[in-house]
Amino acid sequence: MTYPDALSELIEEFQEVDDKMERLEMVFDMADEVIPFPLEQWTQESKVQGCQSEAHVHVELQDGKVLLLSGADAKLVQGLMGILTLAINGSAPAQALLLSPDFAEEMGVLNSLSPSRSNGFRNMFDKVMAEIRNFV
Amino acid sequence: MALRDDFPILKREVNGFPLIYLDNAATTQKPQVVLDAMNDYYTSSNANVHRAVHTLAGEATEGYEACRQRLKNWFNAERAILTSGTTEAINLVAHAWGRANLAEGDVIVLTEMEHHSDIVPWQMLSEERKVELRYVPVLEDFTLDMDVYAASLEGAKLVCVVHTSNVLGVRNPLEEIIELAHSNGALVLIDAAQGVPHEQIDFIESKADFMAFSAHKMCGPTGIGALLVDAEVFETMQPFMGGGDMIETVTITGSTYQTNEHKFEAGTPRIAEAIGWCAAFDWMSNLDLEKEHERLIAIARWVAEQLRAMDIPVYGRHGEKDSAVVSFLHPSIHSEDLAHLLDSRGFAVRTGHHCAQPLLHRLGINGTVRASFYLYNTMEEAEHFVAQLKEITERFG
Repeated sequence: MTYPDALSELIEEFQEVDDKMERLEMVFDMADEVIPFPLEQWTQESKVQGCQSEAHVHVELQDGKVLLLSGADAKLVQGLMGILTLAINGSAPAQALLLSPDFAEEMGVLNSLSPSRSNGFRNMFDKVMAEIRNFV
Repeated sequence: MALRDDFPILKREVNGFPLIYLDNAATTQKPQVVLDAMNDYYTSSNANVHRAVHTLAGEATEGYEACRQRLKNWFNAERAILTSGTTEAINLVAHAWGRANLAEGDVIVLTEMEHHSDIVPWQMLSEERKVELRYVPVLEDFTLDMDVYAASLEGAKLVCVVHTSNVLGVRNPLEEIIELAHSNGALVLIDAAQGVPHEQIDFIESKADFMAFSAHKMCGPTGIGALLVDAEVFETMQPFMGGGDMIETVTITGSTYQTNEHKFEAGTPRIAEAIGWCAAFDWMSNLDLEKEHERLIAIARWVAEQLRAMDIPVYGRHGEKDSAVVSFLHPSIHSEDLAHLLDSRGFAVRTGHHCAQPLLHRLGINGTVRASFYLYNTMEEAEHFVAQLKEITERFG
């Protein structure tokens, strides 16, 4: 899979770190990239279902480009939201849809990408992509 | 600890650290003898059970039925139906006994401490048969409200209660629960998934009418469990799943059924799993389960004390008969994050609602981190766990 440049660089950075705890800390730091989705706008519709953490996403188009707003209580989910923001914000919807969720595994932060109730990232990724699909 | 050598998985590393497996309330690891028994069956005796006369079929049948006999001996039971696990065993009671014996207006008493597998089948039956469900609340000390329980029994036909909570580790006062139920004319189903790994239960002496549990929580394989049934109550159950092996005769106008446990085991059963479970019983019979439990509850109690000293709320009381489960909620690190951080150091713990959402709702929380200890866990592992939690708290809390 070819990733956007910013994401490719990030994957390489992660792969250089042997210690998984350190990699997790790097993901936590990526929470800074999140464009906050205000708490008062969190609804059942914006909620990522089947996620252990409380996570909400909202996707809109700004000048025809994807804008992801998000928020979660778990730091890991926030960090992954930040990475996803970096990967798709500002892209055309069709371009954003090309992204595969494999990057989280390639970064060595998640053990599994199978949709499940323990996999907040996968559920969040699928929801974001489903919302983007509505714009295509 | 010598018995650790029996578990090959305990030699592996996770993320560069020795595995410290503390997710035993979800499933336990398997000793080599269980793996060998299942491998031997597939390697040397693989055949279907009960029907064919050839040698392999005979060996497979012997192996499968030996598991049933082992269950009857281990738990002192007259009837043992092999199922896919606790969930199927409870569903079996709902369908095979519930549909045949419950009518509109009848009452089933449940508790807020139940696993979803002991709630949802009854909710489904309640919708179908207009049966009333009553829930016994959990008090602040993590025990059942026995006054409400006693008051709930009027009109009750069945009481469904968890032996030991998978979240709290609390062992319920089953003797009192069963006696009260019977004196009010209600049968009792015990969800013993978390009980049988820690306690030697005599089914007949317990006076319970049904008891459901799984092999995989007591060092046996996944995919198999059992329902023990009182001999008289067994006769009031009707088969609900039709197919091969459960019939006596089939004609195009109708069928007659077997009269023994096979009546409830339609289709090709879990043969390798039954053989593996038998090997697990053999392996466990070399242990003093009571002594092991004393050791494990002491470890769990120590961990709980350490966590409370770190101002981490712990949900459970760790009494003598409770299971070695420590459920807690870190005040500043999200459970999911904490589980990932612990995993990065080789620790396997469980997070989330543990399939017991009504209980967590009662406790006013969404989930916990759960560390659960079993036969191969050591005090040294517990000390590592607490030390790691301290380190993570300092770095990320």
